[in-house]
Amino acid sequence: MTDRSDRHSHDLDALVARLGALPEAPLAMPLQVIERATPGFFASLLRLGAQAPKAGH
Amino acid sequence: MLLTRTVTLALSLAAAWGGFLLFLQFGAADGMDAMDIVRSALIFASTFWLAWGAVQALAGLTTRPPAVPRDTGSLRGVTAILVPVYNEDPVATFARIAAMDASLKAAGQAAQFHFAILSDTRDEAIAARERHWFLRLLEETGGEGRIFYRRRLSNKGRKAGNIEDFIKRSGAAYEFSVILDADSLIEGETLVEMVRRMQAAPGLGLLQTLPVIIRAQSRFGRAMQFAGTFYSPIFARGLAMMQGHTGPFWGHNAIVRTRAFAESCGMPELAGKPPFGGHILSHDYVEAALLARAGWQVRVDDDIAGSYEEAPGNIVDHAKRDRRWCQGNLQHSRLLAAPGLKPWSRFVFLQGILAYIAPVFWLGFILASIAAPLFAPPPDYFPVEFWPFPVLPVSQASKALGLAVGVFGLLFVPKLLILLDAALRGRVAGFGGGLRALASVLAELVFSSLIAPIFLMYQTRSVSQVLRGADGGWPAQTRGDGSLSLSDAWAASHWIVTTGALTIAATQWLSPVLVPWLLPVTLPMLAAPLIIAWSSRASRPGVFLTPTEWQPAPVMALQDLILSRWQGMETPVQDRDMPGPAVTHA
Repeated sequence: MTDRSDRHSHDLDALVARLGALPEAPLAMPLQVIERATPGFFASLLRLGAQAPKAGH
Repeated sequence: MLLTRTVTLALSLAAAWGGFLLFLQFGAADGMDAMDIVRSALIFASTFWLAWGAVQALAGLTTRPPAVPRDTGSLRGVTAILVPVYNEDPVATFARIAAMDASLKAAGQAAQFHFAILSDTRDEAIAARERHWFLRLLEETGGEGRIFYRRRLSNKGRKAGNIEDFIKRSGAAYEFSVILDADSLIEGETLVEMVRRMQAAPGLGLLQTLPVIIRAQSRFGRAMQFAGTFYSPIFARGLAMMQGHTGPFWGHNAIVRTRAFAESCGMPELAGKPPFGGHILSHDYVEAALLARAGWQVRVDDDIAGSYEEAPGNIVDHAKRDRRWCQGNLQHSRLLAAPGLKPWSRFVFLQGILAYIAPVFWLGFILASIAAPLFAPPPDYFPVEFWPFPVLPVSQASKALGLAVGVFGLLFVPKLLILLDAALRGRVAGFGGGLRALASVLAELVFSSLIAPIFLMYQTRSVSQVLRGADGGWPAQTRGDGSLSLSDAWAASHWIVTTGALTIAATQWLSPVLVPWLLPVTLPMLAAPLIIAWSSRASRPGVFLTPTEWQPAPVMALQDLILSRWQGMETPVQDRDMPGPAVTHA
């Protein structure tokens, strides 16, 4: 019964994979440069409080 | 556009400067001290933010949308409609897709659109239901070859990564892609119009519609729904006039030129760890800025009707969502200096940051005012040497009163002007007529005043959490009924009650004269659990009526029809003998 149920579920997943398959039409999406090498004043100001806490107690 | 920007900025700065001067004179009546300058500076920042919102409404009221190129010809190619899902109820989400598909069929354009359900669902049980209901959706719509479903093994990059994954795999097949949220609903004719406007403007990279909130049931939800439907079109028009071709993009209910999006919006992770590093949470603002940087136009057309979304039904769910937005907006501080951005894109980032910092300014002003007596110099009744009579300081209370009136004016007058405009243009008819619209606006003013201190506290806590380095994560929103018991509300807000009580006690001790002035803030804080629970309960129609409540849009009716047939059909599709009659001809 369990085998049948598993096979049933497997068949269903395969059916969904086949019917749901997206068209294969790749399009490049290059990563953009959005950060400067050195953070700006405002970013530094806001990040002051967000430093990782020191280890220990 | 430049004129609108200049005038709105100048008016906001003038209002802020006026507030600054008024308060400085008031504070300096008993001698100037450092706390007077601090409080005046806080008033400057807070008033600027209030005035900025007010002038945006004025810009919306006094301008008309510029004519945009139209194309009435046939649609080119096929447009993808992307539906990212993340642990949402598949029955509700897929019923919306079926409704939009039926609406497209009614418009005679179903063949020109494909739906792509992009699942990032992490819950295996929900994912299994998604697969079952996807088959049901195909059966219902005859959508094989037009409706697709894929689930990612890893939800890297969250929603932005989900969209990116689709574009990298299938983007070249579609000239345009409509980006939705799981709770988005758009009329077929509207989708067609969005594509036509993109076709008519080859330089347009992204077109944002103004989604109208629908299906709210609770008091809080219906108040937000009314505000969103009644005020937002005017605010959005003002925003559009100021932003021009640099935005905004709100992440959903928008259409993009797929190639432009792919070329411009590949989103890297920010260096470092959350909350400021890692994935960019509020990716939509960044994508709009990147499109503009690459020379593409990003436009919001507030005249496009038939675009809908749902919203949180209670204050706690709203605050949870707001916590994520807060982290996302503060993260934009890393991008203020991003290379090549348009100046206005940088200003938009700054606005987003200010939206969450401004409440902290208000709170800072309140706390500084309570503590001010500790810093005040002792009164000097004999400032003139050898003058035998005491000189009593002239009361400057009228200046404080003037400032308070000004602040309330900035908050209330734009809404009352929008009501007047709606009455003159006949727009009130959709809101139950003039009297009912007036009652709704007045009720909304009272309600928004009641909940403002609660939001002030939640936003302040959010900012504090983000600055301390706490990552709020990205939990799925709770939708549906959303009513809260008093104990749930207490659990979510007892710290607000405590803060309110401590504030009253400190004020009574340090500055008793301020107690009545602070009651509009402290009383709602003390009553926060009651307000949260009460406002989450179902609302009776009366005030807050919106057009879609008494006349549901056709696509909403289709969704209702499909949902009513699907509910109770949790049985997997292959176990039923007969499929239900297709609603595609409904």
